[in-house]
Amino acid sequence: MTEDTIYAIDIQGLVKRYKGRVNPTLNNLNLKVEKGSLFGLVAPNGAGKTTTLEIMCGLKNFDSGSVRICGLSVKDSISEIKTLIGFVPQEIALIPSLTGRENLRFIGGIYGISDSKLKVRIEDLLAQFGLTNSADKHISEYSGGMKRRINLIAGMIHSPQILILDEPTVGVDAQSRNLILEELVKINKNGTTVLFISHYLEEAECVCDKVALMDGGKVVLEGNPTDLAMQHPECRNLEGIYFKLTGKQMRDTYE
Amino acid sequence: MSRFNKIKHLLIKDFLMLRRDVAGVILMFIMPVVLVILMANLQESTFNIVKGVKIPLLFVNNDSGELGAAIEKEVENSGVFVINKESGGVAADMEKRITASEYLLGIYIPEGATEKIRGNVERFVLTAFNGIDKVPFKDEVKITILVDPTSNGSFYNLVMSTIRERTQKVQFDFIMKEITSQVNAISPVVISSENFSGEQFTIDAKYAIPDNSNIVPNAVQHNIPAWSLFAVFFIVVSLSGNIIKERESGSFTRLLTMPCSYSEYLLSKAIIYLMVTMLQFSVMLIIGVYLIPYVGLPALEPGNSFSALLFMALSASVAAIGYGIAIGNIAKTYQQASVFGAVSVVIFAAIGGVWIPIFIMSPLMQIISKLSPLNWGMSGFYNIFLRDEGLLSVIPYGGALLLFGTLCFIVALLFKRKSRQYS
Repeated sequence: MTEDTIYAIDIQGLVKRYKGRVNPTLNNLNLKVEKGSLFGLVAPNGAGKTTTLEIMCGLKNFDSGSVRICGLSVKDSISEIKTLIGFVPQEIALIPSLTGRENLRFIGGIYGISDSKLKVRIEDLLAQFGLTNSADKHISEYSGGMKRRINLIAGMIHSPQILILDEPTVGVDAQSRNLILEELVKINKNGTTVLFISHYLEEAECVCDKVALMDGGKVVLEGNPTDLAMQHPECRNLEGIYFKLTGKQMRDTYE
Repeated sequence: MSRFNKIKHLLIKDFLMLRRDVAGVILMFIMPVVLVILMANLQESTFNIVKGVKIPLLFVNNDSGELGAAIEKEVENSGVFVINKESGGVAADMEKRITASEYLLGIYIPEGATEKIRGNVERFVLTAFNGIDKVPFKDEVKITILVDPTSNGSFYNLVMSTIRERTQKVQFDFIMKEITSQVNAISPVVISSENFSGEQFTIDAKYAIPDNSNIVPNAVQHNIPAWSLFAVFFIVVSLSGNIIKERESGSFTRLLTMPCSYSEYLLSKAIIYLMVTMLQFSVMLIIGVYLIPYVGLPALEPGNSFSALLFMALSASVAAIGYGIAIGNIAKTYQQASVFGAVSVVIFAAIGGVWIPIFIMSPLMQIISKLSPLNWGMSGFYNIFLRDEGLLSVIPYGGALLLFGTLCFIVALLFKRKSRQYS
């Protein structure tokens, strides 16, 4: 098997500098996510994780390095890549004046799903995430947890090969958070590669089969959460390992 | 997936967004209708002063002679005034009543005016026929005309010119008659001024319109295109706000991670708003032709060139949409876009001749007005509505609007590309 068939995401030597900043936001980042894995990318604010995602989705340019998704380069084949990935952004990236169903119909339509298939897919997902009864309400009327759930549905409506989630459980109650995490595990078991980005180390520890800890624009530690814990017996959990490696100083202070 | 299908879904999304923007829709459709009816009525009132609406006038004639009677008759014959005649009043009382807006106008003829003028003429004739090279003593005759201080400048000018014309005619006829009478008293040959008319030539003033046209210039012919253009350009508030709302909600970012290009996203918005602007033009035309007569105004004469009308409507729409898209891309927040969009359109309208006709602007402002896309639109629509011209005559104006719209699109795309480079 070639690397292209093994890795869903293959990032090598990625560098990204923002105008007016001294240090690069991504500083020779290397990251490989195997196909079919549930991968957690954990980092503090300002570590460059959202920038990494945006580059992977073709939203931002980068200065050097290479980014390949399912063997395709984001520089050359972003149109094909867009059909393979599903992106769940940190903010509720839906149109507030449209209902949940209208938003999903629009997004599914852009992915080219036929009307009949889309209708069935929407109803299935709404039922799966407990949103059937509120599907015809405007997004602006949804609670925080409902918004997070429909945001997740929107990212997976077209059954992508890779689902990329940027902090999908921020600001939700325990029940919604539990449901989202359970569904992510189910989606992964059905064959979808999941790249899960979070602040919450315990979440990653709980659901991911592999995690990468990022700091200063690069990966500082990578592996299976259980293996990592065994390598650092002095630390109680992943959070302890993380603090040991990166310290407790805040990262998003003004440069 | 076909591009058509993608555009279809974008169009449905943009249509739903627009339909739920109630304030925006009210602004785009109700505002111009209210403005056109209001402004056409206001301007038509001024216009009607010349055409037959009567002005209340207080006429105080303390002169028992022929002069006062002749002025009174002339003012009556003008047909412009509803006259309330009084005698024995004093000028100060009349002034109070005019100041209180009881009458819009007052004319005061003092006691003995006829006798004083007659005396003046007699002295003049005697002096002239006796070869005396000296200006004779002249009694002052002061006719007072008072105008309501709340009336506007154009009303004042209009009334004063009417009164001046009528009183000068009376003065001329009276003096001519008096001179003839005085000369006859000292001359062996009797001369007559009976058949002499002061009017040696006539002035035929009318609007210059093509011979085969029935179009009569009026406030409606100006206001329908003016406020239609204003409304069409006002969509920039809704369009740019719409773009920014999607950007702020993050749905635009999501869209860019999907198989949808930025140009497809803009194309959908342009199509939806083009439908809106064409609907605005249609509604305004229908109102002008069919509804306006019900509020006592003349119906709009839409000219005879449908192709010219369609071309101008499309060009103005493209210009407005391009401008809205440019603002939506450049502005950082919804507040910035709505304030800048609204204020800039109001400025374009003000300098473009929507509110005030360009010909009464100062020479500098007339040059500046040419910078406004609304001015180009107005010029094109004037050719259709007032000069009854066809497609060829409006191509320069429509072309300028199309160019403006295209430049705005290019600016939006360049700005987008630049912001991606630096982000």
